[in-house]
Amino acid sequence: MALSRKSAIWICLVGTLSSLVLFLILTVDTHRQVKVLTKAQNLSEEVVQGKRVWQKYNCNDCHTILGFGGYYAPDMTKVYKRIGTVGIQERLKKPEVVLARSWRKMPQQNLGDDEVKHLVTFFKWVSEIDTHDWPPQDSNKLPSSSIRRMIATVGISPGGALFKEKGCFGCHKIGGIGSDAGPALEGLGGKYNPETLARYIRTPAAVNPKSTMPQQPEVSPSDAEQITSFLLGIK
Amino acid sequence: MEFKSQKVAYPYFGLALLLFVLQVLLGLWLAINYFVTLPQGLVDVFPFSTARAMHTNLLVLWLLLGFMGGTYYLLPDETKSEIYSTKLAYLIFVVLALTGVAALVGFLFGWNQGKPLLEIPTALDLVVVVGALLFLFNVAMTMIKAKRWTAIQGTLLAGLVFLAVLYLFGIPFYRNLTIDWYYWWWVIHLWVEGAWEMITAAIFAWVLMKITGVERGVVEKWLYVEIGLFLFTGIAGTGHHYYWLGAPRYWLWIGGIFSALEPLPILLMVIDTMRHVKERKLPITRRLVWTYAVGGVFFHLLGAGLWGFAHTLPQINYYTHGSQVTVSHGHLAFFGAYAMLNLMVFYYAMPKLRGLEEHAEGRGKFGFWTMVSAMFCLGLSFGIAGVLQAYLERVLGFGYMAAQEQMRLWFAVAFFCGLGFLVGVLVTVYDLFFPKPVTEKVSGKAAVARVVS
Repeated sequence: MALSRKSAIWICLVGTLSSLVLFLILTVDTHRQVKVLTKAQNLSEEVVQGKRVWQKYNCNDCHTILGFGGYYAPDMTKVYKRIGTVGIQERLKKPEVVLARSWRKMPQQNLGDDEVKHLVTFFKWVSEIDTHDWPPQDSNKLPSSSIRRMIATVGISPGGALFKEKGCFGCHKIGGIGSDAGPALEGLGGKYNPETLARYIRTPAAVNPKSTMPQQPEVSPSDAEQITSFLLGIK
Repeated sequence: MEFKSQKVAYPYFGLALLLFVLQVLLGLWLAINYFVTLPQGLVDVFPFSTARAMHTNLLVLWLLLGFMGGTYYLLPDETKSEIYSTKLAYLIFVVLALTGVAALVGFLFGWNQGKPLLEIPTALDLVVVVGALLFLFNVAMTMIKAKRWTAIQGTLLAGLVFLAVLYLFGIPFYRNLTIDWYYWWWVIHLWVEGAWEMITAAIFAWVLMKITGVERGVVEKWLYVEIGLFLFTGIAGTGHHYYWLGAPRYWLWIGGIFSALEPLPILLMVIDTMRHVKERKLPITRRLVWTYAVGGVFFHLLGAGLWGFAHTLPQINYYTHGSQVTVSHGHLAFFGAYAMLNLMVFYYAMPKLRGLEEHAEGRGKFGFWTMVSAMFCLGLSFGIAGVLQAYLERVLGFGYMAAQEQMRLWFAVAFFCGLGFLVGVLVTVYDLFFPKPVTEKVSGKAAVARVVS
């Protein structure tokens, strides 16, 4: 080979240094722009506390966030937009109940109320990071999960709107939309009469002592009736 | 063995092999987690996250122990002098081994800083830093006292210093998640596509020179070019991790262009190795070392080069990022680029350290081919699962678990590939610890030297 030792050393030095200089310049610029891209003005002390909780329980070795970490459980980048505050809280506090039907489990870590609150704040902040529309499953170009839920219920009945409003999709599925934590709710007509179902919605344990569904004190008796008639209308 | 102090390498190699076995066992456990439903009570005390932290930290630890042992083994030969302090070398070994044990046991009790691959808590980080500084001191002093500078020594020392400096970026707590991951990649990416490539390229060049007898001038000239290309593509190529983490959009261009070039230095390494093998001045006596050398560069090209290239372009990475495609690439790349390099060094050095210039190679050959084929199948099963995930979850919009259900079969396949891999590993590790002396018949065969392909 005609290549001399001297040219080889030059290739080594020029190659390394040019790449290094470019990389360092862009690093400085990235620091500047990240403030805007991550909405650093919203990076409160609570968000930082939430990040500490995220690290304390090593959440990141099962879940990915920004696509990095373990691939064993869903990505957390847009979790706030996907399931909202209540959805996150329920899973953190009672994973063994919410994921009872799932064939993959989440450990019960006995988080304190403050820890849960801080984590939710952290996830909310993360969901606002400009990730160039990643991940695709939560892309802005797709109808968001809340819109999909609206489409699944709206116009059917006032009970449908309440069903969405009260967050029932966080555990239940109708027409393939919603979550698997609780049973899908098609075909309940054969199982319950309207009075029992309305009672079940507000105080599940009163109807079925084995039920893992939480009580719903914020659902008024008249709301429960509306939801019942919506559910029984689904064949 | 010409130098007595080369012996310090042996415990490093030995512990590395034991940790390798443990790493594979934990890997099998992780695979079970992926396709079997485990009882809640078990998940509460030994979650996937803990096992994963152990699996990945064992990998890093055994590879680093291998590099350190390799450095101690080649250093006396390169400098024509003994190691500056063998006592220090043994002391660092004990400290690092204890740190490793403390870290693994700590993980079981949740003592963890919660950053993937860099989980070990800050207190232990500091011990690692002190250990690394002492190691660098020992290596540098050996070189300085000998005053026989070579490109191999220079590359090795530069790579080790670079490795240690980068580790520091993983220690602090960063308030901003985006910045946290930005510097996390300074450790992970710049290790595997920078510092580690420098260290292994230097070690590889030395072994190649020893077994082929090709002149130092030629080997070192290509070492310079390879390092230049590795760092040119690798440093700015870090950008391929910055596509979706909240950094400016120009990283899509920088990362895409530079990382598309990343297979080039590996390709050069393959061509270079094949040319040295062809132009060898020495007969092939220890075929297994040759097998690992040639097999290693090809697997490096496959796992790191081609598999990495396959999903490095932003248009593709948008759908594959953070999926099982990454897992497939990770396994093939680490095995091809670093595990095989270390095993080559172990096969070169360990029998010699036990006083055997040659040893029977049947078992070693079986181990090699079992590991290589099992790892290839493992990479394929993860890869198929990953393509399914990218299509179902990211293109069609299936829920996470609905997509995982369709991938479940491939995790079971991965488990059985892993079992095969374990067999290969056990045979290899046993063979390295207890090499069989050559019988007359085998040595006759070995004399018929030919290139391994």
